[in-house]
Amino acid sequence: MTVLGVVVQVAAVLIGGAYLLAVADRLAGGGSANVLAALAHPIERASFLLLQPVTTTERPDLPAWILAPSLLAGLAAVGAVPVPIGGPSAAGDISAGLVLFGAAMLIVLVAVFIFGWAPNSAMPMIGGYRFAAMVLSIGIPFSLVVLTTAIPAESLSVGVIVESQSNLWYIVVQPLGFVIYLVTAAAIAFWGPFDLPEGADLAGGIAAEAAGPRLAMWRLAQAALMVTLSLMGAAVFLGGYHGPVLPGWGWTLLKTALVLLVLASTGRTIARMRVQRLVWFGWVVLLPLALVDVFVSGWIAL
Amino acid sequence: MNPGALSYVLVSVFGVGAVVSGWLVFRTDSMLRAAYWLMVSFVAVGAMLVVLDAQFLGLILILMMSGEMTIMAIFMIMFMMNPAGLNPMVMVHQNRTAIAAGVGSFLVLAWVGLVAEFPDRPAPIDDPTAELGEELLGRSMLVFESAGVALLAVMIGAIALAAKRGRFGDADAGSVEPAIDIESSVDPAVEAVADADHADDADDHGAGHGMGHGT
Amino acid sequence: MIQLLLVFAAAIFGIGVYGALSQQSFVMIMMGLELMLNSAVLVVITFWWGTTGGNPAGQLLVIVVLAVMAIEAAMGFALVTAVYRSRKADITEKLKKLRS
Repeated sequence: MTVLGVVVQVAAVLIGGAYLLAVADRLAGGGSANVLAALAHPIERASFLLLQPVTTTERPDLPAWILAPSLLAGLAAVGAVPVPIGGPSAAGDISAGLVLFGAAMLIVLVAVFIFGWAPNSAMPMIGGYRFAAMVLSIGIPFSLVVLTTAIPAESLSVGVIVESQSNLWYIVVQPLGFVIYLVTAAAIAFWGPFDLPEGADLAGGIAAEAAGPRLAMWRLAQAALMVTLSLMGAAVFLGGYHGPVLPGWGWTLLKTALVLLVLASTGRTIARMRVQRLVWFGWVVLLPLALVDVFVSGWIAL
Repeated sequence: MNPGALSYVLVSVFGVGAVVSGWLVFRTDSMLRAAYWLMVSFVAVGAMLVVLDAQFLGLILILMMSGEMTIMAIFMIMFMMNPAGLNPMVMVHQNRTAIAAGVGSFLVLAWVGLVAEFPDRPAPIDDPTAELGEELLGRSMLVFESAGVALLAVMIGAIALAAKRGRFGDADAGSVEPAIDIESSVDPAVEAVADADHADDADDHGAGHGMGHGT
Repeated sequence: MIQLLLVFAAAIFGIGVYGALSQQSFVMIMMGLELMLNSAVLVVITFWWGTTGGNPAGQLLVIVVLAVMAIEAAMGFALVTAVYRSRKADITEKLKKLRS
């Protein structure tokens, strides 16, 4: 597939998924249960933000502030590139695709941190610090469970990992890994119970000073990040394009939408933790569980 | 060997990017920008590694450095007096010696690189990642294990060094900021004030959990 | 190609030497050290790619350099924290005396 084809495909999947996520979030508790109103809501919200003027603060780090939302969106796109959507050999032949995904997801930390730093304002900066504390403690279990799916497939290429699940999806042998993946993925996308960096106790945190098109871009990038994480989860745990009747891309998108809906529904229904307890939870609970997952799948693979 | 024109272009672009961003690290006043220019330099070198068929190592380098540079930025903001660079400031010493040493080492190394004859045995492009894995967990297992043990020792040592409470009480008990010109005798009045500060500090530390001591 | 890569690596190393020698802040000195290690990674992979016929021990050396980087960063930050706690010092000029 040509480079242009990959770009168009990734952009279409990410934007479509972001729309779905916004609708699902509205239905899951962010407003009315009226489906038509929820379908129109993302468009209303986007046009409201795009018409709003951009506010500014005293002596912000303007280049960093402009760069951060685009960087986050770009990272979401880079993370989605190694995932084969339509079937084998689409774009999944990047030999270390899983490491590319992991690297992109860790640079998310950089994008969020500079978005909190740039406005030269207290609350966003505290939000940035919170996110750094969160990701440094959650990122290691995240990387471990993602890389564990490479053990039975004997390859770091996402294409090979999906192909090796033709008989058995890895969620069957690594259910623990999938649960840890969902938890840590929501934390990396600062979504749902893990939206501490932009919590109400910080008056909006990292996004407190952002408005207008900049905030619209930031929300879109965050939703695209959620889609990328769901896409990878569907590919490495739920068998990607494998499935009866439907074409390959249909199954990939269906499974991605399923993971996305699970994350959207838990976003407003699970209680938040304080960031101190979240750091404790990452190091003391998630990391040992992730190591158990590594050992169990290594043992099964042998 | 015959690398394609595309790899020449890519290597040149990333190489210039790595050098320029490495230079900007020391030319900016903002500590956050310094840390992230260094990250850009590492990302460019990682991309060069990917062009040179070492995909795994290049991506691992990028992955490692993105985390490390954020930690570095946090430490810079914690320990620098002017982290945002809102007021221009120069914090260098022995500048001329340093410039001479930097330029000198560049010239010597570049001269060696340009003049010396190197054997021409290009790496075959099959699967360097798999080869690395077999080397790491086969013949060179001992190297891998030594690195792991060294990292474990460093973890313990770093926690012992940085822990707030040591065996002999609080690590910062009685600490006083030294004057820049440390040779000049300390005014007794200043010492008395410092002792009073210390008494206050002892109360604070009973309840304090903070990491830094201000920016 | 090898020459081009070595010149880039030499330039990065030179900047790193300048930074490590000229900066006053501890963390900025560590940035200089990191730049030197960065150039070491580039040189090792250059030689692995161009002159060893794909000997995997060349890649292994990069893993060792990465471990050295991690060790340098961890010990560096720990020492900076310890020195700041005991001396309230953040630049090298404040550490002229070994005993306080």
